[in-house]
Amino acid sequence: MAEVRLNAIKKSFGPVEVLHGISIDIASGEFVSLLGSSGCGKTTLLRIVAGLESVTSGTVEIGGRDVTDLPPEKRDIAMMFQSYALLPHLSVAENVRFPLRMRRIGTLDEQRDKVRDALETVQLGHLADRRPNQLSGGQQQRVALARAIVSRPQILLLDEPLSNLDARLREDMQVELIEIHKRLGLTTLFVTHDQEEALSLSDRIILLNKGKIEQEGAPREIYAQPATGYASSFLGAANLVSANITEEAGGPVATLADGQTLPVGKDETRRGPAVVALRQEDVAIKPKGEGVIEGKVRTRVYLGARNRYVIQIGKEEIRVLAPHDLDFERGETVGLAIDPARLRVLSEGE
Amino acid sequence: MTDRAENSLLILPGLLLLVLAFFVPIAQMLMLSVSGENGLTLAHFTRFLSDPYYLNVLWRTVRLSAIITLICALIGFPMAYIMAHVSPKLRLWLVIMVILPLMTSVVVRTFGWMVLLSRSGLVPEVLRDLGLVGRNFSLMQTETAIVIGMVQVLLPFMTLSILGVITRIDSRLEEAARTMGCSFLKTLRTVVLPLSVPGIVAGSLLVFTLSASSFVTPNLLGGARIQVLAASIYRSVTQTLDWPFAAAQAVILFLGIIVLLMPYARLSGRSNG
Repeated sequence: MAEVRLNAIKKSFGPVEVLHGISIDIASGEFVSLLGSSGCGKTTLLRIVAGLESVTSGTVEIGGRDVTDLPPEKRDIAMMFQSYALLPHLSVAENVRFPLRMRRIGTLDEQRDKVRDALETVQLGHLADRRPNQLSGGQQQRVALARAIVSRPQILLLDEPLSNLDARLREDMQVELIEIHKRLGLTTLFVTHDQEEALSLSDRIILLNKGKIEQEGAPREIYAQPATGYASSFLGAANLVSANITEEAGGPVATLADGQTLPVGKDETRRGPAVVALRQEDVAIKPKGEGVIEGKVRTRVYLGARNRYVIQIGKEEIRVLAPHDLDFERGETVGLAIDPARLRVLSEGE
Repeated sequence: MTDRAENSLLILPGLLLLVLAFFVPIAQMLMLSVSGENGLTLAHFTRFLSDPYYLNVLWRTVRLSAIITLICALIGFPMAYIMAHVSPKLRLWLVIMVILPLMTSVVVRTFGWMVLLSRSGLVPEVLRDLGLVGRNFSLMQTETAIVIGMVQVLLPFMTLSILGVITRIDSRLEEAARTMGCSFLKTLRTVVLPLSVPGIVAGSLLVFTLSASSFVTPNLLGGARIQVLAASIYRSVTQTLDWPFAAAQAVILFLGIIVLLMPYARLSGRSNG
């Protein structure tokens, strides 16, 4: 267990700079997610911490030690790959023992005990003698996790480890990851493009966009108060609608492009052209005349527990999640109710 | 007509060709090797196996082939590894460079080595100038010359066999090994080498068989005193005109290679499964 300090990390591939000076402090035992769409540099940053990629400038410290120029094997880390990277010529038990063997940790008997413990932790004790190619995807993933935690590294690095699993297994693994993190208290850096995963697992989320930190904070904080348009569209898939904020008698009001008005929170101080972020689940569909604004149903997508409606307001479209027992037809005009407290006003161009 | 019958019919022309071009000559060779003046005899085999000269030739053939195979593997593995990890464009040039020796005629190539290795050639002269060897030093007509010449020709078989396997190894495996405490060399030994075994086995089979049955290069570089089995067979056919004895030697070479390669083939079968 140790803290990690990334100091003004820059990384260029040829003429293209992919990380523009990123500084992150991770406390000992903290679970931090690097969240972002593909190409935002999150995996590159993880590989820099692992030592698989060099930095163009900046420093990496693990446990107070500057490891910027150390190769991966000299950093006390463990990494779990998206493709699991199990060694196909070794059995499951040998795979899990590999880091212990290579780092010469403990005697043979101690190593065997640790391997057994790690495999029990991920509930795979009975498959120790199998080869990786005889296991299912979910089982391989557990082996990879066991291998990552067996040596109790200072830092655990996870590179989208859940993205190759089906939805059901992914939920199980999320619970398991939380429990293992709680029990072992390993400092963990987790890379994902899945906002739900980041929200459910982390102590802190760092949202990356185009090689820069867009926003960071606790899951609740970052979900409730996304600071930018990118942040709000990424977390909770919010709709971004351009509007003009003006002061009216009853408080500030947003005027949409088609002239409809929408009250915003009383303490909103921004005025003039802006962007309003509306989360899909925060907009309620009502029969015509009952909401604060009106729109026309363009499409309805049946999702089982809920329906997703695409509603046209003037020239803009927004997406809305509604309970499955509400039924509106295509082309119908509906009212939309929006709680002013749930709506966020962002300045244009963010 | 059933599918099965149809399949058998379709396979017939190929089978016929195989029998004519492959099994008939081998059967003929086997027959010839046991034919004597009064019917069947094993005299040719006993002659070979009881003459220290021929046993020496056999042993030399096996020994040189093994050395050539080993050296090819030692050079071929790192070479294949490098080729697998450079840019595709550079890889193409390296492949061309590796197979270039195969594109030149064996005679031209061998005469090239003769120029380089003979007493007044480049290599002995440099060694002499450096004071490493005596005044009369020559590499021609030595086993070393044979090994050098053969390694050059056979290296592409080894390198390309290993390259095919190494390019299919997921690069994440090497990265994973690094994060688990392996240095670069340790990664090569514990991950890349074991996973390259099928390629090394296939390459070794090719190199060993080809070098055990090669004839021109050893003959030209080794000279008359250093005989290998293939050259001895050639002499029996062309100089002493003793065809049955030549056939017996060929059978011994054939069986020898099969016996030596059997465990090898099993090795590759296991690592594939």
